[in-house]
Amino acid sequence: MSGLEAIAGAAPDKPGGPGAAGSAGMSLAGEAVSFSYEEARAPVPALCDVSFELRAGGSLALMGASGSGKSTLLQVVRGLDAPESGAVLLDGADPSDPRYTALQREVGLVFQAPERQLFASTARDDVAFGPRRLGWPDEQVTSAVATALDLVGLPPARFAERHPYALSGGEQRRLALAGVLAMRPRLLLLDEPFVSLDPGTRRQLVGILERLKAAGVTLLLATHDVDLAWALCDEILVLGEGRVAAAGPWDFSTAGGRLLAANRLREPFFVELWRRLGRDTHRAPRTAAQAAQALR
Amino acid sequence: MKATIAQYYAGDSLLHRLDPRAKLVAVSALAVALFVRDSFAGLAVYAAAAVLAYLLSGVPLVWFWRAFRPLLWLVALTFVAQVVFAPGEPFFSFGFIHLSWRGLELAAFLSLRLVVLVLVGSVLTLTTPSMALTDGLAWLGRPLRRLRVPTDELALMVTIALRFIPTLLVELDTIMRAQRARGADFRRGGLRERTRSLVPVLVPLFVLSFRRADELALAMEARCYRPGAVRTRLHPLRAGWADAALLVAAAIVIAAGLLV
Amino acid sequence: MSPSPDETPPLFDISGLHYRYAGAQADALADLDLKVHEGEFVAVVGANGSGKSTLARLLGGLEKPAAARHALACGHDLLVEDGRMAARRDVGVLFQNPENQLVAQCVEDDVAFGLENLAWPAADIGRRVDEMLARFGLEDLRRREPHMLSGGQKQRTALAGVIAVPRRVLVLDEPTAMLDPVGRDEVLRAVREMRDEGLAIVYITQEMDEAAGADRVVALERGTQAYAGDAGGLFADAALVRRLGLGLPAAGELALALAEQGRGLRDLPLTMDELLVALGYAT
Repeated sequence: MSGLEAIAGAAPDKPGGPGAAGSAGMSLAGEAVSFSYEEARAPVPALCDVSFELRAGGSLALMGASGSGKSTLLQVVRGLDAPESGAVLLDGADPSDPRYTALQREVGLVFQAPERQLFASTARDDVAFGPRRLGWPDEQVTSAVATALDLVGLPPARFAERHPYALSGGEQRRLALAGVLAMRPRLLLLDEPFVSLDPGTRRQLVGILERLKAAGVTLLLATHDVDLAWALCDEILVLGEGRVAAAGPWDFSTAGGRLLAANRLREPFFVELWRRLGRDTHRAPRTAAQAAQALR
Repeated sequence: MKATIAQYYAGDSLLHRLDPRAKLVAVSALAVALFVRDSFAGLAVYAAAAVLAYLLSGVPLVWFWRAFRPLLWLVALTFVAQVVFAPGEPFFSFGFIHLSWRGLELAAFLSLRLVVLVLVGSVLTLTTPSMALTDGLAWLGRPLRRLRVPTDELALMVTIALRFIPTLLVELDTIMRAQRARGADFRRGGLRERTRSLVPVLVPLFVLSFRRADELALAMEARCYRPGAVRTRLHPLRAGWADAALLVAAAIVIAAGLLV
Repeated sequence: MSPSPDETPPLFDISGLHYRYAGAQADALADLDLKVHEGEFVAVVGANGSGKSTLARLLGGLEKPAAARHALACGHDLLVEDGRMAARRDVGVLFQNPENQLVAQCVEDDVAFGLENLAWPAADIGRRVDEMLARFGLEDLRRREPHMLSGGQKQRTALAGVIAVPRRVLVLDEPTAMLDPVGRDEVLRAVREMRDEGLAIVYITQEMDEAAGADRVVALERGTQAYAGDAGGLFADAALVRRLGLGLPAAGELALALAEQGRGLRDLPLTMDELLVALGYAT
């Protein structure tokens, strides 16, 4: 039974079937990854010697100004672009490993504004697209679709037969996410998932990502919302013009603060609060509830 | 993205500064002459003029190469077709292939003519922003307005279409990547399967294009655009002595090519 | 609060406005009232799909209201075709997606587009465009093609194109939603400058800290007005804020969490500084 089932409370999966990889997340590492686009006509970012590590079940915030290479890195990790040099390791396996292609299929990538890629005439069919392409048997596709829809808060009973374009903006965003989750990724890559959402939908999405984390799914979250990154991610990877500017645990020392500022990022709100209250910033709360607990 | 259509090289050469109408007229006339004249001598004159124009344009050779690359196969195809199917006494035969000196000559002539034509056309598009090109075309097409052809509106439409080509290519690329990330495969299977595999790409592309068009129309109206209303231009077309000189030079070159 | 005769008439004077999209089951906007006066900065908030963008279109004279008791934009009647056409000159509208607003193939031509449509003489257009490019820091990009611009540069170009036509009021529909923090700051700075110059602004946003700085906040819920008043009043009603799919600025969220744990603060803080004062760490 995979972690996603456990949290969505759906029917258990047959063990050993495709996608039943278990609840463990996938570990990820970049080893001196370099990549550049063939024709530099548009201001597209390149990657230069990008190295980082993300443990299985961990969560990493990918930050940096637009044009710093965040989206490019996600594309390379998913294997949509091959690095010119260096390698992306999935569960420690490099591309020469016979398991590598199978591992790549367990990496889910949620594009920026993913609702723009919805195409089927029912929510169910759209979510089923990925699992069907994986060649899963029908009953497994059905259960994966139901699980994913439940997980994103679009219960199949109400939403499965709806036309994707008849849904609200926030529902479309969650439906597109379900389309990726139905493939049971063990590593989930998200490209600016909060953009253009209202605060309520943003909260729902944060809740979904927290549940995925709790289920052991590894998260790589590209965002420029430093408060949400801080709330969701254990560690941070800052890119600046395609190079690693910082990688590892959040660092709010003077040097760390300078580094954030140099990459046009500010401190998370609760970290700034802790600093101004004269408290230890490395024990700063991640959420309002935690902060209230500490200040009570 | 790979949008080579009507690619403009931002420069400040003499040719860049010429009126697009003068350039359009000169280039069209030269193109017609190229097709009318069928001797190597005439071709040589036009080729020399094209090379001179290239040198005056100040555009790096690599930009011409980029414009040429997609047309190479056309040149190659012309050459091969002429060599293989041309009339004349064969000096070499193999199966249905008959090589003759006459055929080789014809092949060389036609390929060279195509190369010169592309060179001349590239000088035009590389030194003239497409907005100026469409303005020039709209002006030259003015007589058609008597026939109630909305030339100005058509010119604006063409400009907008050109403006959105790179945007749509990026969009197409993104959608294809997103569906590939969900397991789509656009390269495998027979024709039917491949066509089917395009549905998840084309549906969103159409929907997005319509939405884009709707938003764009709104943004244009918000900036007081009204079809059919009189508009002015930031850079109105202004012909000068240099443009007259270009037309005279073009006339001389064309005549020389026809007479040699 | 009807304006006294010596007061200048409001820029927007809307009452009982209805709008429905073709083929839709319900009104996108229903019985909406809105008044905006000279120099005011009004924020409009609401969940995705609450009718904010529809409102922007109507205010700009870009859609025909289905019905209204009265609907005046800068004195022009939005219920009639001629009034809407006239409103398009006085009301500038900037949309969310900068990509879909740029018409021309380079920055300066795009900034000129509105003036060309109004058939200004070329020399006047040139002067006005130069002025706009300088004002928005776009001089070096004047010949740049739109797809070679960053998000912030695109949106500044679009804004310059909207403002190039002299406007009396500006409607901004989530102008920073698709931008990164750098682009967002660029656009916000430009908006703040225009506000300081006294231009009235209707600012549609999902960012609660942006809304908190407005003179007045209007909250929409499924096409109807759920709140109108100052920002503090909206955020003080936590239940309403949740129901509308909105949130509080981080300082307010913390105050709310503290209240739930039995330590209510006297005033609802909306900024870091207000929070520090409320916690008793600063004065």
